[in-house]
Amino acid sequence: MKNSAFNRRNALKLMGTGGLGLLFGGAAVRGSPSPSSRSGRVVVVGGGFGGATAAKYLKRISPGLEVTLVEPAKRYYTCPFTNLYLAGLREFESLGHGYNELRGRYGVRVVHAMAKDVNVSGKKVVLEDGSELPWDRLVLSPGIDFRWGELEGYDKAASQKAPHAWKAGPQTHLLRRQLEAMEDGGTFILVAPANPYRCPPGPYERVSMIAHYMETHKPRSKVLVLDAKDTFSKQGLFQQGWRENYGDRIEWVGRSDDGRVVRVDADKLEVETEFGTIHKADVLNVVPPQKAGAIAERAGVTDETGWVPVDPGTFRARRAEGIYVIGDATEAAPMPKSGFVANSQAKAVARAIAAELAGLDPVEEPGWANTCYSVIAPDYGITVANVYEVHDGELREVPGSGGVSPMEATPAFRSREAAYAESWYAAIAQDTWGTRPAS
Amino acid sequence: MTHPHKTRLSAPPSGSSHPLRRIIGLFAAVLFLGTTAAEARWERIPEAVALLDGAEPRADALELDLPTVTQNGSSVPLTVKFPGSRAVEQTVEALYLFAPGNPSPEIAEFSLTPALGNGELSTRIRLNQTQTVVALARTRSGDWLAGTREVRVTVSGCITANQNNGENAMEPRARANNRVRPGQLVDVRTLLRHPMETGLRERDDGTVVPERIIQSFEARLNGETILSARFHRAVAANPYLLFHVDPRTGGGTLELTWTEDTGDSASATVEIPSA
Ligand SMILES: Cc1cc2nc3c(=O)[nH]c(=O)nc-3n(C[C@H](O)[C@H](O)[C@H](O)COP(=O)(O)OP(=O)(O)OC[C@H]3O[C@@H](n4cnc5c(N)ncnc54)[C@H](O)[C@@H]3O)c2cc1C
Repeated sequence: MKNSAFNRRNALKLMGTGGLGLLFGGAAVRGSPSPSSRSGRVVVVGGGFGGATAAKYLKRISPGLEVTLVEPAKRYYTCPFTNLYLAGLREFESLGHGYNELRGRYGVRVVHAMAKDVNVSGKKVVLEDGSELPWDRLVLSPGIDFRWGELEGYDKAASQKAPHAWKAGPQTHLLRRQLEAMEDGGTFILVAPANPYRCPPGPYERVSMIAHYMETHKPRSKVLVLDAKDTFSKQGLFQQGWRENYGDRIEWVGRSDDGRVVRVDADKLEVETEFGTIHKADVLNVVPPQKAGAIAERAGVTDETGWVPVDPGTFRARRAEGIYVIGDATEAAPMPKSGFVANSQAKAVARAIAAELAGLDPVEEPGWANTCYSVIAPDYGITVANVYEVHDGELREVPGSGGVSPMEATPAFRSREAAYAESWYAAIAQDTWGTRPAS
Repeated sequence: MTHPHKTRLSAPPSGSSHPLRRIIGLFAAVLFLGTTAAEARWERIPEAVALLDGAEPRADALELDLPTVTQNGSSVPLTVKFPGSRAVEQTVEALYLFAPGNPSPEIAEFSLTPALGNGELSTRIRLNQTQTVVALARTRSGDWLAGTREVRVTVSGCITANQNNGENAMEPRARANNRVRPGQLVDVRTLLRHPMETGLRERDDGTVVPERIIQSFEARLNGETILSARFHRAVAANPYLLFHVDPRTGGGTLELTWTEDTGDSASATVEIPSA
């Protein structure tokens, strides 16, 4: 893909090979629109996994479209691999991605601003400075926001003492500094939320990486996970991996063993559980309850759950005309809230919008994929993978698709999966922002 | 079931007489008329039909809270609410929960006394597949109330994990909040560590794990039963129950007892503050 004059026919050919890795995501647009019908204005809010991919693929499929990407950050830092940064296995800068390629190579107009509001009937996005961006189709991929205060005692101010580090940036640095400052022999507590939340295996990869840091820097320290759930993603594999790599350093307490935290005291670094046990931490990492990014609420597309209900085939918001929503903000169960899924949904939506604006038939039988790698130790990785489809008007896992890493595997196998995780990161970053891994 | 503290409970304020609320209530009732036929799911559950014995439940007075989508059908949170304040005769004395899409529809039955306030309670249930959960309740004056709620159960390889392999311990936990503000009820949370084996689960070698469930639960305040429950297989492992006690009962020691189908039991106590 060296050729910058990438043409639409080639793009479609590539789409047709849907089963191939990251390009998987849907069926090709049928027919060949005449150049004149390929115009239209699309505004994409959010330059993360979903939004950046959508903007890029809209231009790849229909170069005639006017595509504007709205994202406040000049450089986006991914949540994926922040856990490796916390463990000291990755430089933070290696997780940053800019928008030069989207701008220069694909012709996406990138506006670095925060969208303040959406005028649905007037079809405009309103920016912070009051300026407006008109659209024929709008894509929202704003990620998550937190439900401050829903967990008693945990608000924005509390997160300055007990970080969530569930968005990459200052919070991630704060957690790393606290970890470095912690005495050897300290207790790291992670408070894990109920479903649904961003990155189902994320909390468990995080504590794996924290345990690795302890193993190498603070060998007398411990990790305690207090969970609002009784089961979690890849649980058997994680718990086996913890035992094999870290002995009994990581203790996990599920909901039925009184793991659900109901109150946080960020000043004392204490938490209280449902049945009244008080746990004291040296470093307290709270992953709070979440909802769709605030702009989705402003646009009026969320429902009482705080997430955005979408039409399963198209990812059109159920509550507004002309608005498509992708990524973590959506209710797309059984798809998890992952970067991989956001990228996959973005491609299907780009195709649907390109077809719609060109007056073509909607995309038939769209499909989506996910793979979640989790790194338990530098040479020990595990995965879960799935393919999704629409069946009887609802999303489901394609029966028999996907799977998880085997429970019985050789060290070489686990080590290869850790290496694949690195390759996955490089590949998805390149596919989403066009950035190449720093060598 | 009579209640010793009944006379001490003052009549609730008639908050429902606010004119706007009455209008909204009327509107809701009218809307409901159009949908009753479609919503009368209980008519398709033989156990519910037998229970009603010809009575027509009122479908607008019981609120059933469940997630619209769940990725873990093995433990789905459920709350039953009886909105509005009620005179004691209008409080609920019996509550029945059904999951018609499960291999057997009964989930649980509860007998409630006025000591529980308006009777709101929460538990966690098992749902085999996408279905409409049904709740039926009988008030002290013999009226029937119904509520239904559709829950989509999706299978997610990314979220669900291997179930606990049914340890044998019966470990109870209970807690009553002692920070009650005037006019508030005391929350009582209870949980018993227990596998609730359905008798349907197969081991890796194909043999079936025999049924072993908690069959009944009882809460006695100073020796008087204020809540009793019968559980079926559709109550989730580690049976959880959150209910409320009116501190105007005078409080005291609440004794909780869980009994297994084998006859084994476990118990715990909590102190209920008085108002
Ligand atoms: C610790 C951790 C580890 C993870 N690991 C993995 C992993 O290994 N693999 C994986 O696939 N996923 C992983 N994830 C999940 C992944 O980060 C998310 O699923 C993904 O970022 C979702 O993409 P998105 O586009 O929905 O949101 P985001 O990537 O969060 O992007 C949203 C963007 O929108 C912008 N925005 C928000 N509101 C506005 C507004 N009003 N105006 C303009 N811009 C706005 C934000 O600035 C942000 O850049 C992990 C998450 C965490 C927390």
